[in-house]
Amino acid sequence: MTGEGFFSGSTENVMRWVAGAGIVLGLASAAIMIVVLVRKPEWRVTAAAKWALLVGLLVLPGMTMLSGNVVGFHNVKNSCTQCHTMDPWVNDMKDPKSSTLVAKHFQNRWIPDNQCYTCHTGYGLSGNIQAKIGGLGHVTHEYFTGVPAQIKIKRPFAVDTCLHCHGESAKYLKIDQHVDAEMKPKILTGEMSCFECHAAPHPRKKP
Amino acid sequence: MTDAPAPPQPPAGPVRLVTAACILALIGVGFSLLHFVRPTPLLFSLFMIVGQGSFAAALVLYAVAIFTDLKRRKVL
Repeated sequence: MTGEGFFSGSTENVMRWVAGAGIVLGLASAAIMIVVLVRKPEWRVTAAAKWALLVGLLVLPGMTMLSGNVVGFHNVKNSCTQCHTMDPWVNDMKDPKSSTLVAKHFQNRWIPDNQCYTCHTGYGLSGNIQAKIGGLGHVTHEYFTGVPAQIKIKRPFAVDTCLHCHGESAKYLKIDQHVDAEMKPKILTGEMSCFECHAAPHPRKKP
Repeated sequence: MTDAPAPPQPPAGPVRLVTAACILALIGVGFSLLHFVRPTPLLFSLFMIVGQGSFAAALVLYAVAIFTDLKRRKVL
């Protein structure tokens, strides 16, 4: 491993460092808590124990959890393709012959990385939290309750996701319907879906 | 001859709460370590649900232990 690679600022490398820090902090907090647990109960109310608990029960595990969230969230962004359930849709996306919207976005790298995650989560913190809750549901289905035979999107696709990239682009604004006085508010409020005029992004049925 | 006075016993309530908090926090930390070592979607979910859940419970118990102790000392 070169020094440059070890200290590179790439996201993957930063995540490795965060994970390493999380492991060290987690082990340190576990060691402190084990010490607290194996000592006599009387010791647990001493000033030394209180300081040990402040660090070992509050600060270090808190930082471990935080780094776990950062690393886990980063890793999970490209985990959509790890479940066989999604294979048909992912295959369609990667199929050079496919002309669906997702395939075009993938093939042209209009979305460079984490294509599933980018379009299926809202932007910002609330989007991340929603993705987190939704993702837990998906994993529960995959491992515990079983995947439904017919998969469908939970709520209508948020038009904001499309508009985040396209909304202010010259190409978008050149289309009369997009700036039409009657249609524009409907599009912006989500009352009108992009897919009322444009083709569905994925094949409607399992490809 | 009189026996030396026994050392004051720590209050059972806060000690038990701190013990439970430590065990729950250890479970939380254990799941986060597992998830660092093997970053699979299942372990990430367990970390999110069980790990963070038990850590949150540990924090609540710890806070209750501090509150109980402060009340016992009549600080609050």
